[in-house]
Amino acid sequence: MISQLNSIPLYLICGGIIAFVAAVCIIFMVRSYKAGIAIGMDPSKLKRALTSSITFSILPAVGILLGVIALSGSLGTPWPWLRLSVIGALHYETQVAQAAAEQVGLKTLSAAEMTPSAFATIALLMSVCIMWGMILSFFFNKGYLKRLSGKKQESSSSKPGFGDSAMTAMFIGLVSAYIGSYIGGFVSGKGNFTFQGDLTPIIVAAVSALCMSGFIYLSEKKKMVWLESFSIAASMLAGMLAAVLL
Amino acid sequence: MDRKNYLEKYDRTTHLIGRAASAITLFLLIGAPFLIGFLLGALPDLSAAAKGFLSVGIIWTVSSVVEFLVYTPMLGAGGGYLAFITGNLINMKIPCAMNAREIAGTQAGTPENEIISTLSIAASSLTTIVVLALGVLLMAPLQPLLQSEALQPAFANVVPALFGAMAYQYFRRNLKLACVSLVMMTLLFIFVPSLISQTSMMILPSGAVTIGLAYLAWRRKGKQA
Repeated sequence: MISQLNSIPLYLICGGIIAFVAAVCIIFMVRSYKAGIAIGMDPSKLKRALTSSITFSILPAVGILLGVIALSGSLGTPWPWLRLSVIGALHYETQVAQAAAEQVGLKTLSAAEMTPSAFATIALLMSVCIMWGMILSFFFNKGYLKRLSGKKQESSSSKPGFGDSAMTAMFIGLVSAYIGSYIGGFVSGKGNFTFQGDLTPIIVAAVSALCMSGFIYLSEKKKMVWLESFSIAASMLAGMLAAVLL
Repeated sequence: MDRKNYLEKYDRTTHLIGRAASAITLFLLIGAPFLIGFLLGALPDLSAAAKGFLSVGIIWTVSSVVEFLVYTPMLGAGGGYLAFITGNLINMKIPCAMNAREIAGTQAGTPENEIISTLSIAASSLTTIVVLALGVLLMAPLQPLLQSEALQPAFANVVPALFGAMAYQYFRRNLKLACVSLVMMTLLFIFVPSLISQTSMMILPSGAVTIGLAYLAWRRKGKQA
């Protein structure tokens, strides 16, 4: 079965869809760059935003590639390649694939038990469960943003907007949830207040944060602004290196 | 053409391309399992797929609605369409767009921010596509290196590494709020460790509390001014 899942027609189907999405990305990238220049944005800022986005994405992309490798043992290479290149998320795919496998009667998500019908069903469920963001965007992106910009115009006349504070607050909440989970995992992960849980994520996060503080110091105090493009990727690399050395 | 007219035209075309791309991608992604099933000689079992959807799909549906409502204003039109087509929002696209916005110094809700978000997410998505395509192409020779025992801890800790760097970046902007939020979430996970496996779901209450507290502080500041 695994040889069928790794066959040329499957590579062509999945590769074709990925190529379509890549073309969409190129269209959006070129249009936004041209629009930035047209409305008078600083080209060097646009280029730095572009460079930093590319460097920022390389490391997580290698992590996602590992997800493809992990899933390729049970679902073949083309389908996980498509899922993780286009719409999926690393934490989502395995969970949904496992749930679908259970529904089609497989004991585990493995190539040994896989049948053509089971694979097609798993693939369908993986597509259906995560399509809602796209559907909502299709129907409501325009109206939702129009409504928000209307509200912003009404409020901007009286006092400064809450938008930026809300974004910062939301990110503080997001990061706190993850950092809190690492600390909670260490303190109570192996039984309440046993302090026997995994300490590695906390150390990795701390090393990464320390490295980031160094980059911000150099960028803000020593005027080495060019470092901003690499700060997150390099900090992550330092944190990940710490995990290897531990 | 003046700036206002140019941006209006840009916005109209963005929605047109975004909607068309979303519809075509959706059609391709839903159609692919049927086409693959046809090639393999068996179509998907729709009843099993429906049961599977009821068990896990509902959670992801709710999560998708929340993601749409929260992230669309941050990303703008082009960034929003692209991010929902290309996925990996929380662990990649959103931090990437925020980082680019930081570098360019743009404000949420402005055309400049819309442009930077779109540029950033498009570049990030293309990078992912290229890295994965190269990886798949070189899968055989790369596998021993990537799957080597020595490197596994590094890749198992990509997310803590990302959030460590982001913690420094964001916590220093509002230290009081960060302390309250971090203590609250830490205590929650210490006293209810079963929630650790559902951290992504805990982002919603955590984000709601921090936004609520930031709103109260913003209102108080507004009254004092």
